[in-house]
Amino acid sequence: MHERQTVSLDTLRARRGDDAAGHVFFVLITAAVGLAFFMVGAVGVDVVVEAWDILTERLWDFLGSPSSADEARSGVSQGIRGSILIAAIVILTFPVGIGAAVYLEEYADDTWLSRLIQVTVRNLAGVPSIVYGLLGLAVFVKGLDGLTGGRSVIAAGLAVAVLVLPVIIITAGEALRAVPTPLREGAYGLGATQWEVIRTQVLPAALPGILTGTVLGIARALGEAAPLLVIGAVGFYTTGNQDFFEQLRGAFTALPMNIANYARLPAETWRGHAAAASVVLLILVFLINLVAIVVRARISKRLGR
Amino acid sequence: MTTASVDSSASTPTVSLPSVNSRAVGAILEPAIFLVVAAAIAVVEHAVQGPIGGFGPSPFWLAFWVMAMWSAWHWPAAQTLAASFTGNHIAMLDGRPAAPVTLAARELSRVGILYGLPLLAIEANIAPVLALMALSGLVIAKAPGRRAPWDFLAGTVVIDDFGGPAAALERTEVHSATDLQLDDSRNRKNRRARATVLALGTTSILVSALIVWNIFSEAWEFFAADAFSWSSLQGIGWFPRRGIFDVWTLFIGTLWITGIAIALAGPVGLGVAFYLSEYAKPRVRRTVKPIIETLASIPSVVLGLFAISFITPQVLQPIDDSIGFASLLAAGLGVGILTVPIIASISEDAMRAVPMELREASYGLGGRRVTTSLRVVFPAALSGISAAFIVGISRAIGETMVVYIAAGGSGGAVLEYDARNEGQTFTAAMASLGAGTDSVAGVGIAFQSLYALGALLFVITLLLNVVSDAIVRRFRQVY
Repeated sequence: MHERQTVSLDTLRARRGDDAAGHVFFVLITAAVGLAFFMVGAVGVDVVVEAWDILTERLWDFLGSPSSADEARSGVSQGIRGSILIAAIVILTFPVGIGAAVYLEEYADDTWLSRLIQVTVRNLAGVPSIVYGLLGLAVFVKGLDGLTGGRSVIAAGLAVAVLVLPVIIITAGEALRAVPTPLREGAYGLGATQWEVIRTQVLPAALPGILTGTVLGIARALGEAAPLLVIGAVGFYTTGNQDFFEQLRGAFTALPMNIANYARLPAETWRGHAAAASVVLLILVFLINLVAIVVRARISKRLGR
Repeated sequence: MTTASVDSSASTPTVSLPSVNSRAVGAILEPAIFLVVAAAIAVVEHAVQGPIGGFGPSPFWLAFWVMAMWSAWHWPAAQTLAASFTGNHIAMLDGRPAAPVTLAARELSRVGILYGLPLLAIEANIAPVLALMALSGLVIAKAPGRRAPWDFLAGTVVIDDFGGPAAALERTEVHSATDLQLDDSRNRKNRRARATVLALGTTSILVSALIVWNIFSEAWEFFAADAFSWSSLQGIGWFPRRGIFDVWTLFIGTLWITGIAIALAGPVGLGVAFYLSEYAKPRVRRTVKPIIETLASIPSVVLGLFAISFITPQVLQPIDDSIGFASLLAAGLGVGILTVPIIASISEDAMRAVPMELREASYGLGGRRVTTSLRVVFPAALSGISAAFIVGISRAIGETMVVYIAAGGSGGAVLEYDARNEGQTFTAAMASLGAGTDSVAGVGIAFQSLYALGALLFVITLLLNVVSDAIVRRFRQVY
C-alpha cells in the first residue's frame, strides 16, 4: 500500500526549512515511538537489574527451591510446576476451541444464531480476566469440587482454559477463513466429502495460523494471574509427600502468583525475588513466542507457500 | 461393499428382531442398574464426606426416576443389555454385527450420557448440564433410524422392529445411491466428524452461557440477601468484610486508573500509529512494529512489579516525594504501558486502511505530509481510532494485577479523590477480596459482593465492546 512512491511538496518545503508544523509533528511522533521503546527497554532492564543478585548468586537454587519464609532459600519451583500444569490443561482443551472454530467457519450456515455466537465469542474475548476467575470459583472450585478437589491447579487450569477459549476460536477462525475457497472447490470436484475436504485441504492450509493462535494462547495462559488469585492460588505452601494426583487436587501456585506475592510483601528485600521470577516468566513467554514463529515458518515452508 | 452380509460367521444368516419382551427386560434392567449405581455413589460419598442429602423423594430425584424409566422403555438404546441376553441386535451401519469392543464402548458412552450427566448435574447443580441433556434428547429425536447419541459415538445402530435401519439389513445388494450411502464408510466418517465438531462448538457456547448465567445469578444473591441494604452501598469506603460497600470509592479509583492510562497510552499509541502508518519506510516498520508489540506480551504482573520498582521511585518520587510505596498514579501509568500496543496497533490498522488515493489527492493539492496525516488520514480513520480508544479503555478498566500490586489497599480502601494516594478499582477490589482465604466460606455477603462487582464489570466491558463494534460498522467508509 505504501510501496508506491509519492513525491510531495513537503520534501521541497522541508529542504527550504519552512515546514515548522511538519517538523514539530515529526518530532512528536518520533518521541512517541522513542517513549514506547523506552518502556520496553526500561521494563527489561529494571527487572534484570533488580533480579541480578539472585540470578548471579543462586540461579539454580532459586529455580529448584519451593517458596519459603527464609529469603536465602525461597525459590519458584512450585510456581514453575503450577504454571506448567496449567499450560498442560489449557493445551488439553485446545481441540474444543479449534473444533468450535471449524464448526462456525465450515459447517454453520449464516443464520442469526451463528452470527449471535460469533458476536458473543468476540465479546467474551474482551471480558476482563478476573471475571473468569469468578466463573472458576463458582463452577470449578465450588460446583465440581468432587472432580477438581476445590482450590486446586485443575480448577485453575480449567478457568484459564475457558479464558483462552475465545482467543483460540477467533484466531483459528481467522486462519480457516483465510484458506482460499478454490482449494475447497477443487477437492469437492474430485468427489471428496466435506470432512475429507476439511481434513486434507482446509486444516493443513490453516495449520500455521491455528498453531500461532494456540501458542499465543499458551503464552497468555502462562502470564495470567488475576483468575488464579480468585480461584485461590497461594503464595506459600508446604510440599508434603503426596503423590502426583493428590498434588493435582491440593494447594497450588503459579509463576505470576509468585511474582505478585513477592512484589506485595512490604519489605523491599523481597523485590529481587519478584524480579527474578519475572525474568523466568518473561524468558518462558518469549521462548514460547519464538517457538510460534519458528513452527509457523517451518510449516509454511513445508506447505510451499 | 456391494453385499452386506448380516452375519459374518458361519452360523445362520438370520437376524432375530427384538420382541416387546426384550424391551420389557430393558425397562426392568435399566432402573435396577441405576439403583445400584446410585447406591454405590451414596455409599462412596458417605464414606468420603459423611452423610449427605441422600436419595429421598426430592422433586429432582423423582423427575430423574421418571426420566430413567421413560428412557428405558422408549429408547432403543435401553435394549443393549436385553439384547445381550437374547442375541445380537446391535449392528454396525453396514449391517455387520458389532464387535464386543464396539459394544463395550457403546455401553460405556451410554451409561456415561444417561447416568453420568444427571449425576454431574446433581453434584454440580448446574443448569447447563441439564441443557446438554435436553440437547442430546433433541439429537435423538432428529436422528435417522432413532440412533441415540451413544450410537453415533460407537457408529452402531439398533436393529429394531420400528422398521428403521433394520429394513436396510434386509437389502443384500446395492440398488440405488441410497444403499451406497448407508454402506459408505466415508459418508459415515463425514457424518461423525460433523457431529463431533458440532458437539465441540456446542460445548464452547455452553461454557459462554455458563459464565453469564453464573455471574448474574450470584450477583442477584448479593442484592437479595437479608444482610444487604441499599444504605450499605454508601460509606467511608470499600470494606466488604465489614459490610460497607461504597461503590463510589471503586468508581473513582477505576476512573483515575483508566484516565491516567489513556492519558499516557492515547498520545503515545497514536504517535506510534502515525509514525508506522504515514512516516516509516517498510523496512523500518518491519523492525519497529514487533518491538512495540513486545509490550503486549509482557505479563501484567511484571508491569505491576515495574510500577513499584521503577515508576514510583525513579519517576514519581523525584517529582513529588509525598507519594508513597503504592499509589493510583503509579498503577495508572503501569496500566498505560499495557494499553499502548492496543491503541497503537488498532489505530495503525485503521490508518493503513485509508486508500492511497486520498493521500495522493492531498499531495496533489499541495498538502504537506503533516497536513495529509492530520487532515486527511486522521478523519478518514477516525472510526477505527475511536474503536481503538474504546478497546483500550475497556482493557484498562479490566486490568487487575498492575493495580492489585501497585495501588495498595488490601482488604479495603477509603474513599480517595487524590491519585497520589492508595486506592482500589473494581478489579483490584475483587482480587484482594478473592485472595482472602475465607472468601469461599463467605463472610456475610462479602463473597456475593465479588459477583456483584463482576456483573458490573461484565456489563461495562460488554457495553464498550458493543459501542466500539457499532462505531466501526456505522462510520466505516467502504473504499
